[in-house]
Amino acid sequence: MSLAPAHVAGVGMTRFGKYPADVTLESMAVTAARSALADAGAELSAVDGLYVGHVFGGPVAGQRIAARLGLDGRPVSNLENYCASGATAIREAWIALSAGLHDVVLVIGVEKMTDRIAGGVRPDPGDLDAAIGYVMAAGHAMSARRYMADHGATRDQIAAVAVKNHAHSVHNPFAQYQKPITLAQVLDARPIAEPLGLLDCSPISDGAAAVLLCTRSGLRRLGLDATGPRVRGVGLVSGSVQTGLNDLNAEDVSHRAGQEAWRLSEVGPDDIDVVEMHDCFTIAEIVRMEGLGLVPRGRGAAWAADGETALGGRLPVNPSGGLLSRGHPVGATGAAQVCELTWQLRGAAGGRQVDGARAALAYCKGGTVNGTDGGSVTTVVMTA
Amino acid sequence: MPPAETSSSTATRARPFRDGLLTLQPLRLLGSRCTACDCAVFPARTFCPACRAATVDPVELSPVGRVHSFTVVRQAPPDVEVPYTLAWIDLPTDRVRLMAQVVGVPPEEVTLDMPVELEPAPFGVDDTGSELVGFRFRTSAGVSS
Repeated sequence: MSLAPAHVAGVGMTRFGKYPADVTLESMAVTAARSALADAGAELSAVDGLYVGHVFGGPVAGQRIAARLGLDGRPVSNLENYCASGATAIREAWIALSAGLHDVVLVIGVEKMTDRIAGGVRPDPGDLDAAIGYVMAAGHAMSARRYMADHGATRDQIAAVAVKNHAHSVHNPFAQYQKPITLAQVLDARPIAEPLGLLDCSPISDGAAAVLLCTRSGLRRLGLDATGPRVRGVGLVSGSVQTGLNDLNAEDVSHRAGQEAWRLSEVGPDDIDVVEMHDCFTIAEIVRMEGLGLVPRGRGAAWAADGETALGGRLPVNPSGGLLSRGHPVGATGAAQVCELTWQLRGAAGGRQVDGARAALAYCKGGTVNGTDGGSVTTVVMTA
Repeated sequence: MPPAETSSSTATRARPFRDGLLTLQPLRLLGSRCTACDCAVFPARTFCPACRAATVDPVELSPVGRVHSFTVVRQAPPDVEVPYTLAWIDLPTDRVRLMAQVVGVPPEEVTLDMPVELEPAPFGVDDTGSELVGFRFRTSAGVSS
């Protein structure tokens, strides 16, 4: 199965971080959108439709943004798949372009969290896990403890993911944190859900990211050629109900998301040069890379500690700093990953450039549902 | 053995915090078991997630389990009191894994594969004043029974 790729005409984002109340969901989205349009040299009038990913933005946030931006009247779709919302918006935009419905569409991922989320995110109150006392950090902590027992991995190896990603973001002007941290800082940080501490967890953040996607005729409308990066396909799967007493870190949902990515994009796992991985927690980067089949089972922690997933390593993961260091405004993250991979595939990522990056994968996982191995997982495959 | 919370004086006014999730006399979790492949799940579903058969029977699950993994939650949203121990509990008899809180020993003494037993957990009261009852597991190692 092969749908036409979506060409990336322009990308832009706000620096992720904690902003005061007067920096609103709408204002951040407008800033990111204008930045993406400027990157493409495109006028607002060229845009056929708007796809907005967000979780906590409330009803018709996308239309509120459109009315502020000057895209009022256009078709606007609001997409919610928890932390995969931004990537789900990318997927829906890609489908609309490949279907011939539109030629130029704007995707915005946006979240204003710091004025409404405290202590971490959790499932919907109606979900049984929420009643049991589940918070996201707890699930990953249990994953980490089992991973260490099953694979002989160490706490230090898992913590190495945070050290690596914070080192990468030193070179990312859009990252919430832009300074290196030490292994000792990760190990000594305040415990959140043992064995994970504060620096194993992505922060609660505000921010927006925007991507202008086009068909080939859309590129012509914008006066652009087709030499830039493109989205080759976007996989989307949901967690399945788990049975039996199997490997807690089997990551079947990640495996299936990977299979979807390769099927839709006609790009293979061996082709991937760089990954933007949903490292909402340190251990998550490890087990998800393994689930995708990009790192051998049980080796992910050692790979992180040995620099194999660092810039200059065998397969660089999260050159942007990832969620741990770029920040994690949940609905914006998937769009921000595509911004980063666009810069990587253009060779324009500066001090965090992965040399010779020609094919890239962005992975998001959003939400949890009692009894399943996850809510939604998206896999965006891009090529130069 | 059932702890004091299930004494008959309160049991008459107590009910599960969600219908269909557990019974109180005796305390058991309610799952479903596939009539085709025998796979059990908790909570009960109307289909078998293993073989996709649509014929399942209700089943009372074994109250005896072991800790497959666990964490001590030290930070949670403001309305949640910390710390508490959250675990994946395996019920080997039924081959069911479920999430639950664990009590009975200090958090630092919980270990992987530690044996645990089902017990009721207070879950507030409903609009009519009836006690709502949830579930948790208590470590059974070293506890006389």
